[in-house]
Amino acid sequence: MSALPAPVLAHLQHTVLARLHPTVFSYASDGRFLGCSGEPAVFGAEADPSASADLLRDLFIGMDEDQPCELPFIVLPGGRSTHLHRLPDRDGFHILLLDAGAEHARQQAQQQIANEETLAGQEKSKAIGLLKRIRSDLESERGELEEANALKSALISTLSHEFRTPLTSVFGYLHLLERVIGRDPDAVPALRAIQRNATYLFTLAENLLEYGRGDSGAALLHPDEIDLIALARDVEAMIRPLADDKRLELIFDIRVREEDRPVYDELRVRQILVNLLSNAARYTIAGRIAVGLAFADGQLTIDVADTGPGIPPEYRERIFEPFNRGGPGGRKGAGLGLSIVRRLVQQMGGRITLDSAPGQGSRFRVELPQQVRTTGADAIAETPDRTELWTRARTAIVVDDDPDVAHLLESLLLDLGFKVEIHDNAVAGEAAALREPPDVLLVDVHLSGASGNALVFRLRAQGYRGAIVTVSANASREAHDAALKAGASTFLTKPIELSRFIHTIQRALQRGS
Amino acid sequence: MIRATARKICMLGDFGVGKTSLVARYVHGTFSEKYLTTVGVKVDTCEVARPDGTDCKLVVWDMAGRNGVDTLAASYLRGASGLLMVADGTRAATLRTALDLLMQARAVVPEAAAVLMLNKLDLIEHWEIEPLTVAELRNSLPVFETSALSGDGVARAFATLTAELPA
Repeated sequence: MSALPAPVLAHLQHTVLARLHPTVFSYASDGRFLGCSGEPAVFGAEADPSASADLLRDLFIGMDEDQPCELPFIVLPGGRSTHLHRLPDRDGFHILLLDAGAEHARQQAQQQIANEETLAGQEKSKAIGLLKRIRSDLESERGELEEANALKSALISTLSHEFRTPLTSVFGYLHLLERVIGRDPDAVPALRAIQRNATYLFTLAENLLEYGRGDSGAALLHPDEIDLIALARDVEAMIRPLADDKRLELIFDIRVREEDRPVYDELRVRQILVNLLSNAARYTIAGRIAVGLAFADGQLTIDVADTGPGIPPEYRERIFEPFNRGGPGGRKGAGLGLSIVRRLVQQMGGRITLDSAPGQGSRFRVELPQQVRTTGADAIAETPDRTELWTRARTAIVVDDDPDVAHLLESLLLDLGFKVEIHDNAVAGEAAALREPPDVLLVDVHLSGASGNALVFRLRAQGYRGAIVTVSANASREAHDAALKAGASTFLTKPIELSRFIHTIQRALQRGS
Repeated sequence: MIRATARKICMLGDFGVGKTSLVARYVHGTFSEKYLTTVGVKVDTCEVARPDGTDCKLVVWDMAGRNGVDTLAASYLRGASGLLMVADGTRAATLRTALDLLMQARAVVPEAAAVLMLNKLDLIEHWEIEPLTVAELRNSLPVFETSALSGDGVARAFATLTAELPA
């Protein structure tokens, strides 16, 4: 290769030397520093070249001494980035320093960006991972909460259901006792006290069951034609002992035509009435409770006015919250009643208003639009002629494994003029019903062995067409539907009240299968 | 033959684990929050006392963060008596990198002593490395939880490495 032209070579020498600031440290073969040339000041070595020489020499520890050796991008203690070359010589070696500052700065800027991006990416991944974990934890917690809530609801439902069976006996035997000792002045207060507390327990159980259903209750509405007059009488019979006990005047003003059969969920309307009235009876010390029940233009209006202590404005919203008993009347209940009422009213598309002032009493007004009927097949064709149903001797079979309830049903049926036969299991009940079909068969759902629904189903499957009343402490819509699906004529929930019992028997006899 | 007047120590680890900060803490007693990536090698020196009472000059090679020992890194490693492996406790992956680098570095300098520094102890709440892992690592090499920020564990790690440097 021919030599470069002199001007080019001179230019290159000038620019390269100016950029690299070549500096040389020379050593003897034993490593002794001999001296330096070039620009040691650029590398911070001008003050103590000997110390710098020692460091530079030490940087090549362990490396092949006989071959040229390069260490690029060495940042010396002074902060200067240098390309170091050790070059062996005949009597020792040289260490050549070339300034790498500019190149180092460029590379560092690029590397800095790349590293920061990578670190940011890792942080981002970590944050996303954390968010995913948090979401997963939240979902898991939500699942656990839902499970706990379901367990809570199931527990409440089970407990309230368990209340019903003993309350059936209590109400039933109260009825019997009233007949036997109802005129004994010493016994009346005791009977009233039992009735009052049983009513309270019943209301509490119903409210707990409703509360346990949660907000899904709307799906469980089961509108059907109802007898508002009979319903009002039932509720009056339940509340009157409470009012009498406190010498309160209880006035019912029912503006419903006999022939009216408005469509509502009877159980829910009953619950609204019972809660409003039991609250009024509980909080009113003296005076009266006036109940208005009117059905007109497709709307049911329930008016409950009392002469109780009244509700101050600051409590008016709070009293509709669950478990709130902070009203001025003190702690007299579980605090569920009005929250349940409001929920039921909302589920039925109605509204509830309160007009009250301290010392002026309270007036709750509920307006419920007529519901759309969902159970056409269950509708009563027409109101039975009550007298006609009882004009001849009738037979009944009761299948219930709880002797107290069985005996109670027997007593009630005997009162109505039935001849009664009792069985405590499905097999015996089935055989008896097929052997000599009664006018009405009453079957408890929860029997030991085959269930009441199974018994009803088997009877219907064998062509049994008689009236069957399925009795259960489970008041849920599912229980109601399951019983009717199995073939029951009607469904009766515990606790059993006399007027409702009579009405149910009438309906069952009308319907048959 | 050049007499070995000093001992060469190489710091190895992934980028951003705090190698430069550890050297700054140990050699100069300083700390900077600002992250500045290292290009090539930063060289620093310090005098340390060995357990036998003699002084020893350490030439500390703070090598640019990397996840493998390439030819250039191998050239930097040559002649090292000690290896300071550094990982970031808040990034578990950097521990794997440090252990990989140690294995590769030992192929170049099999006699070198080594210690592992698990840095950023001041951020212990964000650590991804489990205590059990550290306990298991201690069966293989000296491990120190360090903080360049506070200085925790830094001097002990350097002192341990110095003590274990081959004669």
